Amino acid sequence: MKFAIALFSAAHAPSSRRALLFAQAALAGGHEIVRLFFYQDGVYNASTSVVTAQDELDLPRQWRELVADHQLDGVVCIAAALRRGVLNEEEASRYQRSVAVGAPWELSGLGQLHDAVQNADRLICFGGA
Amino acid sequence: MSTLHVLSHSPFGDDRLTSCLRIIGTDDGLLLCGDAVHALQPGTAPFNALSTRALKLFVLAEDAQARAVNVPDCAASIDYPAFVELSVHYDKVNSWL
Amino acid sequence: MAKSLLIISRQSPWSGPSAREALDIVLAGGAFDLPIGLLFLDDGVFQLATGQNARALQQKDLSANLQALPMFGVEELFVCADSACARGLSNFALEEAQGLAAHEVTALIDRYDQVITL
Repeated sequence: MKFAIALFSAAHAPSSRRALLFAQAALAGGHEIVRLFFYQDGVYNASTSVVTAQDELDLPRQWRELVADHQLDGVVCIAAALRRGVLNEEEASRYQRSVAVGAPWELSGLGQLHDAVQNADRLICFGGA
Repeated sequence: MSTLHVLSHSPFGDDRLTSCLRIIGTDDGLLLCGDAVHALQPGTAPFNALSTRALKLFVLAEDAQARAVNVPDCAASIDYPAFVELSVHYDKVNSWL
Repeated sequence: MAKSLLIISRQSPWSGPSAREALDIVLAGGAFDLPIGLLFLDDGVFQLATGQNARALQQKDLSANLQALPMFGVEELFVCADSACARGLSNFALEEAQGLAAHEVTALIDRYDQVITL
């Protein structure tokens, strides 16, 4: 089955870890993830600026590895990311800010969320607590 | 069509569980994860609200275990692979973010 | 046929960007001509209160975006009557929003392919 997974909470929220474990279990179960879409505070999961203590779960790194290992389509909502200071190289140079997100993530619009819904059998959202 | 509702907020001081129970359909399921598993504490108002309904009730095992919440017979304890299969079984998943 | 998506907006307009960002999903869907519905539930009904003054909080007015919904082709607009009643709201800033009883909300969710509750 084809899943679209949307994440709405920051990397330190329990729901973000839940989203990661769901994604890993879906792939392990032979399902396909058509897209990961990070919206609202979910954009922080793509940030390279998050520093995690050595004995804690580094969720942004885990997400990066998941996307890279499985060649997933990882999209960060550009409007939500700008609002929260998670800028890629292009946006950082446009607004003279620091770069906080890069490959394998792509910054794009909300149309990518709708596109994922259209192409998936299920949309699964994680966020809040 | 059936819906799997997913709650992750504590039912104490939050109205998601109340709203969810008001609109949940007869073919729907309810998965408690995160602090929402505290709704399984016997003798509490959320537990009583849940027990008076013939719901298909699921609980994410790791969250119950972490919080030392006992899973009653009326709820099925599930892991992540089962969560994935539940989301396949139901036509849609409504996470109350 | 395109899959339909229901957005359930549960946040007050003054509790952070959540209400606006829920609305942005709806407007984007409308712009792509997708079948989109929007339901105001719980504190989300405060988005429909009349006489709000965004400038008092140096915010942008959400009601202009709400009024734009029908222009974006989003005509499936609903408000949970129980939520509105419990919060003392009887007039809505969005005339097109149709009041629904609890069992009608159940039927509404049932009829959409996918749902996002924010």
